[in-house]
Amino acid sequence: MEPNLGTIVRSISIGPNREETGLESLQFREEIHRLMTVPPENGSSFTELLQLPETQAMELLHSAHSDEVVPVPLSGEPLHGINDDHKSYLPSFNGNLTFPSNKVLIERAAKFSVFASGEHSPETSSVPSDSSANLEKVKSEPAETDSNPNSSQLLVSDPAVNIKNQRSEKRKEREKKGKGCTKKSKIEISQDAEKLPYVHVRARRGQATDSHSLAERARREKINARMKLLQELVPGCSKISGTALVLDEIINHVQSLQRQVELLSMRLATVNPRVDFNLDSLFAPESGSLADSNFHSMVSPLLWPEIPFNGNRQQHQQQWNFDALHRPLWGREEDNHTFITMENSLLNYESANSASLHSNQLKMEL
Amino acid sequence: MISKGATWNSNSCRIKFARRFVSALLHMRNRNTRPGSLTIEGVRTHTQRIKIAAYLSMAQAVGSRRAWSRAVLSKHGSRARRHSRMGRSSVGLKKTRVIRSYPPGELGQAKKLRQLVPGGKTMDMCSLLEETAHYIKCLATQVKVMQTLADNFSK
Repeated sequence: MEPNLGTIVRSISIGPNREETGLESLQFREEIHRLMTVPPENGSSFTELLQLPETQAMELLHSAHSDEVVPVPLSGEPLHGINDDHKSYLPSFNGNLTFPSNKVLIERAAKFSVFASGEHSPETSSVPSDSSANLEKVKSEPAETDSNPNSSQLLVSDPAVNIKNQRSEKRKEREKKGKGCTKKSKIEISQDAEKLPYVHVRARRGQATDSHSLAERARREKINARMKLLQELVPGCSKISGTALVLDEIINHVQSLQRQVELLSMRLATVNPRVDFNLDSLFAPESGSLADSNFHSMVSPLLWPEIPFNGNRQQHQQQWNFDALHRPLWGREEDNHTFITMENSLLNYESANSASLHSNQLKMEL
Repeated sequence: MISKGATWNSNSCRIKFARRFVSALLHMRNRNTRPGSLTIEGVRTHTQRIKIAAYLSMAQAVGSRRAWSRAVLSKHGSRARRHSRMGRSSVGLKKTRVIRSYPPGELGQAKKLRQLVPGGKTMDMCSLLEETAHYIKCLATQVKVMQTLADNFSK
């Protein structure tokens, strides 16, 4: 008898769905007929049978129920969802249970208890294996078994009424267990919560759940996300781990960029007035002597253009390229005439040159 | 017309900045016709003016969307300059009176970052990081444009 019941128990425990409640009721009726053929042994042993495993009978109900709850996407208010499931499930079950004859009811409860006893052993065997669902069941079991002994005594006297009472108590414990569920089985649900339109931060397992720490955690996550963005922006920063070093790198990068701006502005400053001056000097008849004087006086500013851009920008190398000094003098008048048209050509030049000219120097993409 | 090369987003910032900056340079050049910029000091002031023009044109290209651009515009804007020249340092006073909330977290580096990024003194850590990211992007554009300009001039 028991192995048959055990098989039926396993089939029920495998698929706890709403559709299977119909199957359950069918199997219950089969078992009830089987039980009716077998006469009850003793009143006392039956009540014993009722008392202890009845707790686990309810446990069976709730365990079946818990598997139902977790896969359901908890959108918004999960606690209310659990309560609704609970309430909607139980009345249907009440309908199944309220048989016309008390005798049938007792037999059914007995059958539940046997189910529960059959169910309990696989549960206890699976306790050592760490799966979160079993952990939930195990942890809620002591809570339920503690409160159940007093209610189980009531059940002996009048099963029809007391099952309902017990169920109401079970409902409260179900809520607690539900809250435990939502707090413990968190990892999948937190991911769903992030997709919601409003910011809904959940407590993870082992973390504090007061509002202050939640807000701080949200803030920390925001800051970490922005730090990641910055790391991608700054070249060579993705390898570094740790906030302090990354920040140092970012600061260095910003400082180097600002220094580059200053250098370039100095370069442009020397280039710009030289346009006028060289033009005047070039048009002057005494070009030779003036060029010499220009050369000596303008040695230092003229060197600035040659500093960076033949090779590395970061180094302040003063390259005494006198050929380069002479070349700009002549190129200057061309630039002066075509200044405005150069703006257009400059923009074209930029878009063409952005990859080639600056990629090796700046290693940055916009 | 000018052909806009890559994606619209990356180029619009660059083109806006380039236009403004080049026009500012032209304007400065037309103003500064005297050959007094041979001296080191002259070059230095000229450099300073060009630098400020670069930052200003970049901030104008960005607009008032970003906190750092607003800070730059308020610091170097024409009205602010008039105020400082007239002696009314109300803008400066307002800035120093702003209470800085030091949020807990990274200490030394956040302070440095606030000094580097314009307008970073009155920002919390979260927005500071966001502004830094945008600021780095715009600084990179600025450097590219100026480099191209300088290369074109020195050829």
